[in-house]
Amino acid sequence: MSDTVRFRVHRGLSRSEGEEGFQDFEVPLVRGMSVMDGLDYIYDHLDGSLAYYDHAACNQGICQRCLIQINGATGLMCQTLVTGDLTLEPLSTQPVERDLVTKWGRKSDG
Amino acid sequence: MKTVKADVLIVGGGGAGFRAAIASRQEGAETLLISKGPLARCGASPMAGADLTCHGVGMREAGFFGEPNDSEEKFLSDIVHQGCFLNDQVLAERFVQDGPSRMMETLDWGCQPYLCDERAIFTSGIGIVDAHLKEARRLGTRFMDDTAVLELMVQEGQVCGAIGLDLRSGERILIDCHAVILASGGWHKAYTPVTGSKELTGDGVAMAYRAGAEVANMEFVTFACNVPLWPPIWRGSIVTYAMSLMCGGTLENADGERFLDRFDPEMVEIASTTEWNKSFFSFATALEVRAGRGTEHGGVYYVKGDTPWPEFEAKALRSYPDWKVKGADFSELGRRLRDGEGVEVAGAAEYFEGGVWVDERFASTLPGLYAAGECAVSLFGANRVAAATMEMLVTGAIAGKEAADFARTHPSASPHPTTARVLDDKITKPLRNRERVDVGQLRSDLQKAAASYLGPVRCERELVDFVRSLERMQQEVLPVLGASHEGQIYNKAWIECLELENMLTVLELSARSALQRTESRGVHYREDHPFSDNDQWLREIHLSLDRGERRSAVHPVRQGSLPLPSGRIPYLTMIHDMMRSHSDVGGHH
Repeated sequence: MSDTVRFRVHRGLSRSEGEEGFQDFEVPLVRGMSVMDGLDYIYDHLDGSLAYYDHAACNQGICQRCLIQINGATGLMCQTLVTGDLTLEPLSTQPVERDLVTKWGRKSDG
Repeated sequence: MKTVKADVLIVGGGGAGFRAAIASRQEGAETLLISKGPLARCGASPMAGADLTCHGVGMREAGFFGEPNDSEEKFLSDIVHQGCFLNDQVLAERFVQDGPSRMMETLDWGCQPYLCDERAIFTSGIGIVDAHLKEARRLGTRFMDDTAVLELMVQEGQVCGAIGLDLRSGERILIDCHAVILASGGWHKAYTPVTGSKELTGDGVAMAYRAGAEVANMEFVTFACNVPLWPPIWRGSIVTYAMSLMCGGTLENADGERFLDRFDPEMVEIASTTEWNKSFFSFATALEVRAGRGTEHGGVYYVKGDTPWPEFEAKALRSYPDWKVKGADFSELGRRLRDGEGVEVAGAAEYFEGGVWVDERFASTLPGLYAAGECAVSLFGANRVAAATMEMLVTGAIAGKEAADFARTHPSASPHPTTARVLDDKITKPLRNRERVDVGQLRSDLQKAAASYLGPVRCERELVDFVRSLERMQQEVLPVLGASHEGQIYNKAWIECLELENMLTVLELSARSALQRTESRGVHYREDHPFSDNDQWLREIHLSLDRGERRSAVHPVRQGSLPLPSGRIPYLTMIHDMMRSHSDVGGHH
């Protein structure tokens, strides 16, 4: 399949509102792929510095840590199907750590 | 470097770690639990279906119908037959004895069962871990999450601390403690597909080995059968695994042949109705794929078979209302099965029998180091049918108590700052290395190689090649491996560089053991040695590192009340005998 979709992804150490805070990637579209699969493609093949919470991701919708804004709506990266172009932003209710990673879910006693 | 102190450090935020924390706090030890991912939402525990097993009399004591004719002896005998007699029978006895108490406290702490059979309650993995996390918290355990423990520190022959990395901030943490319990699970991420979450990279086993502890039974890996390969969003789900056990259905190869028909019908029947399904169907699937009869994505088709659709669907919907499975929607899968289409499935790495060798106190060979749950050597021997969830609770409870006792009676000196600096230097090396290796591609190649060479079916030629390539990567790639950028905040490439060392270590240990075991037993099948050799191989392979030198030793399996079998028997005959030796107690285990 030669179709691609555009992933417009938030980059940076703090929340950016304007165009300059985003980077575009062309990702091959595979039927039945999740947003997480697309981000894995970018990380593996295009830009290894991209940050999205996946080091302990369950990929099954169980851990709920991959919650971000997908085209403006809150959704799980691992359970949202890719069907067209996407804009990905960090969860709107949480402070940003980097790119798509927020403080969401952190529970350390320190 | 930030320093934190505790009597007992527990590594792992799943069921084994929480149960160890409860026991350690009950002994009065200052207890710090560090989890690589979110507490109670990482590892394998929350991903489990989940069953929790104990013998039928214990089930009755816990208020379920159970089985009055069951006994500790019958359950032990079944577990040891299922493990093809490679179990440490003393550890297996503890599992059988302690099960009812662990079952009852789990219910007391708020876990809700929704079904039961003669030897198991069926609940959710989340339900089990949440109940234990709440109790561990109530007793005053301190917690850190999203923090990887990467190296153990040893002084005067005893564990005295560890180094961790806060994966979000990149800050290193020195933990000054008197005992460590590893409860960090298996090395699922070294494979694809898998049923565990992504942070399971064998960290505990690899750092224990580096610190000088013995590991054992590393060649044994259980694959959950019938796990979807495609489309990508379904990959690794246990939905079709569970469905095949609850609703029926069968497997077809790429030619449309129902290849299970080639096996003894009694074996297929036993495997279809019990958790023998994992090892038997994953083995049968791997044979098809290796013979060139696999599907596009390297599996076989799961189809509904001869079960009438209304019956199949009713059973599926009983567990998965609206075709919803936890957070995921599987209505498209239901449609496909209804319309007679197949779903591409194969075995997925699920449970690792091998791990840190432990004695009956769950102490490793390194003083002050304990292990529980999946990262400890399994009491299930060469094949697991009973629940790993109960194993994590039984072993966690013992390790927690023993480690707290040890910490009280053997206080260690604080870790030396020089050692801490050396380890810190090692951890930060990928940030300084100039060579920007594509670690994602390396990991992905490694996962495919592990699935091919260390799957359910192995052979000498492939294992020799695999060991050689793993050693080459350890010698040539690891020392120069660099992250793709230098930032410390949630640097995925840095994390993966550190994980790669551990995955290479555990895969090398596993491949070397698989090569050394020139027989077939349980989940380890050697194409070139298709016999179970009870005269030569009722023995464990122990591996260790002694001042940089790789050591290997073979120890007779520890026998308890059950006499060991003898003779050299064709693999499938041995498996058939083990299946048929089951006691008269019903249920899935």
